[in-house]
Amino acid sequence: MKTGPALEVKGLSIKFGDFTAVDDVSFSVARGEIFGFLGANGAGKTTAIRTLCGLLVPSSGSALVGGLDFSDGGKSIKKIVGYMSQKFTLYNDLTVGENLDFAAGLRKMEPRYAAKRRRELFELIGFDRPLSTMVASLPGGVKQELALASAMLHDPEIVFLDEPTSGVSPGSRARFWALIHKITGLGKTVIVTTHYMDEAEQCGRIALMRAGRLIALGSPEELKRGAFPGPMTELDFKGAEAGEFISALKKAPGLLEFSPHGMRWHAAFRDQAALSAALAGLPVSASAGLIKPSLEDVFIRLIEGAER
Amino acid sequence: MKRTLKAFIRKEFAQALRDPRMKLILFVMPMIQMAVFGLALSSEIRNIKLAAVYSPGDVAAAGLTRRFISSGWFVPADPGRARDPSGLIVSGKADAVLVFPVEGFARAAARGRGMVQLLVDATSVTRARSVEAYARNIFAAHAAADAGLEASSPPFGFDVRIIYNPEMESPMFMVPGVMGMIVCLVTIILTSMSLTRERETGTFETIVSAPLENHEILLGKTIPYVVLGLANAALVIAAGFLLFGVPVKGQLWQLFVASLAFVITTVAIGTLISTISKNQQQAMMGGFIFLFPAVLMSGIMYPVENMPVLLKPAVYLNPLYYFTSLLRNIMLKGGDPAAFISNLSALFLMAVSAASLAYARFRQTLD
Amino acid sequence: MNGFDIHRSAAVARKEVMHIMRDPFTLVLVMGLPVLLVVFFGFAIDFDVKNLKLAVYDRDNSRVSRQLVSVFDSSGYFIPSAVSSPSRAITGLDSDKFSAALLIEPGFGRDVGRGALARAQFVADGTDNSKAMAVLGYLPGISEAALRKFGGVTRSDPVPLKARYMYNAELNSRWFVIPGLAVIIIGLLSILMTALTVAREWENGSMELLLSTPLKPAEIIAGKIAPYVVLILGGVLFVNLVARFGFGVPFRGGIPLFLGGTLLFIVSALSQGIVISVVTRQQQLAMQLSMISGLLPSLLLSGFIFPIESMPVFFRYFTMILSPRWFMEIARGITIRGAGAADLAVPLLALAALSAALLAAAFKKFKRDLEP
Repeated sequence: MKTGPALEVKGLSIKFGDFTAVDDVSFSVARGEIFGFLGANGAGKTTAIRTLCGLLVPSSGSALVGGLDFSDGGKSIKKIVGYMSQKFTLYNDLTVGENLDFAAGLRKMEPRYAAKRRRELFELIGFDRPLSTMVASLPGGVKQELALASAMLHDPEIVFLDEPTSGVSPGSRARFWALIHKITGLGKTVIVTTHYMDEAEQCGRIALMRAGRLIALGSPEELKRGAFPGPMTELDFKGAEAGEFISALKKAPGLLEFSPHGMRWHAAFRDQAALSAALAGLPVSASAGLIKPSLEDVFIRLIEGAER
Repeated sequence: MKRTLKAFIRKEFAQALRDPRMKLILFVMPMIQMAVFGLALSSEIRNIKLAAVYSPGDVAAAGLTRRFISSGWFVPADPGRARDPSGLIVSGKADAVLVFPVEGFARAAARGRGMVQLLVDATSVTRARSVEAYARNIFAAHAAADAGLEASSPPFGFDVRIIYNPEMESPMFMVPGVMGMIVCLVTIILTSMSLTRERETGTFETIVSAPLENHEILLGKTIPYVVLGLANAALVIAAGFLLFGVPVKGQLWQLFVASLAFVITTVAIGTLISTISKNQQQAMMGGFIFLFPAVLMSGIMYPVENMPVLLKPAVYLNPLYYFTSLLRNIMLKGGDPAAFISNLSALFLMAVSAASLAYARFRQTLD
Repeated sequence: MNGFDIHRSAAVARKEVMHIMRDPFTLVLVMGLPVLLVVFFGFAIDFDVKNLKLAVYDRDNSRVSRQLVSVFDSSGYFIPSAVSSPSRAITGLDSDKFSAALLIEPGFGRDVGRGALARAQFVADGTDNSKAMAVLGYLPGISEAALRKFGGVTRSDPVPLKARYMYNAELNSRWFVIPGLAVIIIGLLSILMTALTVAREWENGSMELLLSTPLKPAEIIAGKIAPYVVLILGGVLFVNLVARFGFGVPFRGGIPLFLGGTLLFIVSALSQGIVISVVTRQQQLAMQLSMISGLLPSLLLSGFIFPIESMPVFFRYFTMILSPRWFMEIARGITIRGAGAADLAVPLLALAALSAALLAAAFKKFKRDLEP
C-alpha cells in the first residue's frame, strides 16, 4: 500500500481558449476516501475529473494523482486510475466478455491476469450472467455496474465516477452505492460526481463547485455547520393565510435562508435570538419545529444563493 | 502494443461481423454487384432502333435495310403511327432513320445522283458516332452490290489487331474497373464513420482513458479494416475469375501487393475523413464527396487521360485510377514491372500522405 | 387511417426546417455540391479520346509511309513517336506507355503506288473500354484522309450516305453529360439526406418521441420530406441555370413537364432514403445501403454513360426498377429533344409508379414500427 494522499491539487486551472472551465482549485484527498463533487451542470466537475484521470493536461497549477504528475502528458496517471464516464462507454453491440476483453487489451493486460480480475470483479458486483450476453440486452443498473467493472479491470488505485447513477432506478442506485463502499473497503479511493443529495450525504467529503471555482469543501456535517451556524426551523402553515407573515419574515434580521420545501418552508437564522424574534408573530394554526439542515439546504444556500 | 492491436482487431471484427445485415453488405453484396455490373455493362453501342423510309416497291432499299438489321447492331424500330422521319426520332421511337431517295435507291444509284440520308439522334454523342460508323461500314460493303453496281475495293486499309482482349469482351474491360470500385466503396464506408461513431456514442472515452499512444489507437482502428478490405478484394477477384473467366496473366503476388497498397490508401483516406468530421452525418457526406469523383474518374466511365489540364490533377489524386490501371495491367497484360512500380509508388505516396494527415489531425481529446 | 392533417405535417416540417437552418452544412451541401460537381465534371467528362500515344515502327520509310504517319499526327487524336522494333512497340503497350501501335512493313509505299492492296498493321490495346472503342472508330476517317493524301484513287459510293445529327448538330458531348450528371447527383443527395436524418433520429431516440404523439405515419413522412423537396428543387434550379448559361446546354421542352418529372423523381429518391433509414435504424448501415443501392447502380445502370440498350435482356428489365433510369430519359428528352408529355408517356408513368411504390413502402415500414 502506497502512502501519501491520493490526490494533491494546488491552484489547478483548465482553460479551453478563453473559457476557464476549472479556476484555481486546490484540495487534497486521502487514500480510501469517498470524495464527492457537487455542483450544477457546467460547474466544471467533469472537466476536473477528466483532468485528474490524465485525459486533459492542466493549464496552470499542479496536481499529483497517486503521487504522479503530468510531466508525461498524463500517461502514467492513466495507468493507476479507473475512469467511468457519464456517457455509456461499453459497446452495446458486443457481448459482456468481448467488452471486458477489449478493455483488458487496451490496458495491455496479460490474459490470465485479466480473467482473474474479471472473476473477482464479477463477484464484487454480483454479476452471474453468461459472458456471451449482449450488453444491449442488460438492464440499465447492470450495465452501469458492468461499466464500473470494466473501468476497474486493471486494478486502479483511484476510481473516478462521473455521475455513475444518472438514469438508473432508485433500487439500482442504492446497489451501486453499496458497491462504492465495498470498493473503498478494498483500500481504493473513489472520486464521484453526482446530482443526488442523498448520494452526496454518503461521501466522506464533498467539494462544492460553481462556475469552475471550489466554493466549499468538507464532510457533509462540516458543510452544514459552515453554511448554517445557527438553528433551522421548518414552518408548516397548515393552509393558513400566511402571506403577510412570510413577507415580514423575509425581512427579519438574522435570517440566513428561507426557502419552500413542498408545502413547508425552511428558515435558517444566525442564532437562537434571531429565531425567537422572527417567529414571534407566527399564526396560531402554524407550527414550527427545529430541524437539522440537509445537504440540499446547503446546496441551495451556497450555489443558488450566490447566484441570486 | 501487440495485445492492444489484437484486442482492437477482435473487437472491430466482432462489431462488423455480428450484424447479419453487415455480413450481407460486406460479403454477399460485392459478389452480386460484381455479377450484375460485369454482365450488364458494356460501352459498345448495340440494339439501335432503326427505321427506314423508302417508296413502296423499292427492293434495293429494303434489301439494304435488311443488311443493317442482320449486322446485329440495329433492331427494327416500331414506327407506330408516326410517318414523318424526324417525328420518329423526336418521340424516341427510333434512334436512327434511313431516308432513301423517292425515285428509288437503284435508280438513283444508276444515275449517280441523289443521296441516302441518315438521321441520327445525337443526344448521346458516343452513340451518334457509333451509329454513323456502323452505317458507313455497312454502306461501304453492300450499297453498291445492292444497287446493282460493281463494287470497288479500296486500295488501302488497316489490318487491325486488338491485343490483350482480342474479342473485345465486355467483362474483360469492366471487371477490373468494377472490382476497384467495390473495394473502394466498402473500405471508405467502413472507415469514414468508425472514429466518429465511437465519439458520438461515448465509447471513445473508454479508449482514451487507457494509457495509449495516438498511433496505437489509429493502428487499432485501421488494421482490422485493412484485413476486411483485403478479404473483400480477394472475394471480388475470385468472383471475376470464376464468373467471367477474367484471367490473371501477371503474378498473384503483384495482385496482392496492389490490393494491399490500395486498401491501405482508402482506409487511410476514410480514417482522415473520420478525424475531420464532427458527426456521422458529416462523415457520410465526406465519404460521398470522395467516392463520387473517385468512381467517375476511375477510368472506366470515360477516358480520363484527356481531361483539361486544369482538372487533370484530380485524376492524379484518385487512388482508384491507379488501382484500376494496376488491375488491368496485372490481369490482362501480365503485370509489366515499369507500370507496376509507377502505379504502386503513386498509391504508396498517397497512402503515406493520407495516413500522416490523419495522424496529425487525430486528437485524444473529448467533445 | 382517418384523415390526414396538413397542420400536423406542417409542424413536423417546421421542425425539420429549423434543423436545416441551424446546420448550414446541409444547406450549403444541397445547394452548392450539385453545382460544383456539375461544373467540374461538365468540364472533365469528354468521350473524345485525344492525344493518344501511338508507337510507330516504319520499316518502309517511304514518302507514302511518312504521309500515313503525318495523317495520324494531324488528326489530333494521336501523338506518334517512332520505335526501333515491333517488340519495342509491344513492350510499350505492356507498360501502358503507348495506347496503340502502327507497324508499316517494307514495300508499303510501292504497293500504294501500284494500286495494289496495301495494308498497314494497327495494334490496339483491348484493356481499356473507354479508349479502345473510340480508337477503332477513328480508323475509317484516317484511311479516307490517307487515301486523299496519297493522291491516289478515292473511292466513291454510288449513292453517298449523308448523316444528319439531330438536336446536337455539333456533337457537343456536354449536352449529354450535364443533364445526366444532374440526375445522378440530385438523386444521390436526396437519398443520403433523408437516410441520414431519419436514421439519426432513430439512433438518438427522438423518433420515439415523434411516434408517441398522435401524428400519423403519413403526416410524419410528408412533414419530413417536404422541406427537402423544396431544398432539392432549389438545387435543381441552380444546376439547370448553370447548365443553360454556363455550358449552353439547350432547354427545348416545357418547364412544367420538367418540374413535374423532377418532383416525381425527388419524391422517389427521398422515399428510398426513408425506407433505408427505417430498415437500418443505424447511421452506418444506412450509409452503406444508400451507397450500395444508390451510388453504383445510378452511375452504372441508369444509362448515364453505359447504354441500357446494350445490356443483356435481363438487365434491361432490371434497370426498370431504378428511378434514375427513367428520369434520365425524361430529363434528356425534355432538355435536348424538346419531347412532350406524349413522347415521354412511358418513362413518366414508370417514374410515377416507382415513386408511388417507394412512398407506400416508406409509409408501410413506418406504420409497422408504430405498432410493435
